[in-house]
Amino acid sequence: MALLRTPLHGRHIAAGATLVEFAGWEMPIQYTSIVKEHLAVRSAVGLFDVSHMGELFVTGPGAMDFLSYVTTWDMQRLAPGGCRYCHLLDEQGRIIDDTIVSRLEEEVFLLVPNAATTARVRDWLTHHLADFEAALTDRTTDLACLALQGPDAPALLAAELDLTVAPFKVVRHGDIIVSGTGYTGEPGCELFVPAHRAGEVWERLVAAGAVPVGLGARDTLRLEKGYLLSGQDFDGTQTTLETGYGWVVDWEHDFIGREALAAQRGGDYARLRGVQLDDRGVPRPGCRVLIDDEPVGPLTSGTLSPMLKRGIGLAYLTAGPETGVVVEMRGKLLRGRIVRLPFLKGGSS
Amino acid sequence: MSEVPEQLKYTAEHEWLLPLDDGDYRMGITDHAQHELSDIVYVELPEVGDTVTLGDTMAVAESVKAASDIYAPLTGEIVAVNEKLEESPELVNESPYELGWMVVLRPAGELPALLDAATYRAQLG
Repeated sequence: MALLRTPLHGRHIAAGATLVEFAGWEMPIQYTSIVKEHLAVRSAVGLFDVSHMGELFVTGPGAMDFLSYVTTWDMQRLAPGGCRYCHLLDEQGRIIDDTIVSRLEEEVFLLVPNAATTARVRDWLTHHLADFEAALTDRTTDLACLALQGPDAPALLAAELDLTVAPFKVVRHGDIIVSGTGYTGEPGCELFVPAHRAGEVWERLVAAGAVPVGLGARDTLRLEKGYLLSGQDFDGTQTTLETGYGWVVDWEHDFIGREALAAQRGGDYARLRGVQLDDRGVPRPGCRVLIDDEPVGPLTSGTLSPMLKRGIGLAYLTAGPETGVVVEMRGKLLRGRIVRLPFLKGGSS
Repeated sequence: MSEVPEQLKYTAEHEWLLPLDDGDYRMGITDHAQHELSDIVYVELPEVGDTVTLGDTMAVAESVKAASDIYAPLTGEIVAVNEKLEESPELVNESPYELGWMVVLRPAGELPALLDAATYRAQLG
């Protein structure tokens, strides 16, 4: 099957990006250097093409109740103009996907699922839609998504688009939707742009100094902040509580998976922990983690943190912070310990 | 276009060798190789005194994306390793032929056939 391409595909090729397959899309993994792109986002401003992410609109008088039922958050508590990160669960409380819900108007919501799960989320929502007075529209292919991230992002957005957007707020700017969200832990926004205008907006932001950043740095940036990667840190078998994201649950409302989560609450279960190496080395997903010589699980994510210059990773562990661990790399045993997330403290979110 | 200095010898595995006055060989990876690997963040080197056999995995260069084996370009003994790479693995990217050298080898017996700069350049296409 041919890979899907974003409206910016030609620009990535022209920029000399290395393209890879990601969730059925042909996406830039890096333009120049993952480390340089990473540091550009931490110190200045970077621009990502994340048009592979889904854009699902839920509209109608029952939209609020519907989304409250299918996500961990009560959308009554999300005023128009706001965004909320939450999880979609199955009846067993297992994460189908994590997503940001933006409430554009009283009865208009935008959901942004991950690329690999967009079809599954769409089918799941459609299946449960029958009982609600709401409609679902998939605009994944006619909207591009550009993420402008970094300490200089707000100033650049103000200068180029005459626009200010606060963290976790959403505004319309002509035919562009701008939300104060991202996946890097830095100030910035995500711009949902009609596909035919994506090139123009991209070029304008790059001309103004935004550094194009690929999916390689997107992964190292999110991991430094302890953000989950769908399909990797959860794969359909873990609950929200197991990922350590209990704060995305509003217990005061009814939603799919609530009963299962409530039963697990307060119990003993392995949860996703940060592992930081003291020895030198680059941990990779799948590396075995050992505590007191006993294998306790694989790393779900792992990389070298460009900011901390240490190996970091995530694993489902029953032990808590400050426990010493060993990560096995090609037969070598590297010492480390469980640390509180995020690995990289500070920043806006 | 990758840099391929005239005075060095090369292997098909994108490694370079510099003959030293005492018969030893300084060794590293080529500009082409460092560019392909990109962002080297960790280099696992052998220890001084280790003996290596032509074609064996002797070291590992890790980028953010992946780990790549570095093969022994000849059979012999490791007589020096570039300890600077422990703190600064990025030297392999920044200065593959100078500051980013990896080891010094003392050949045992016959040297394998090595490529000259023109042949290696032709191989890169």
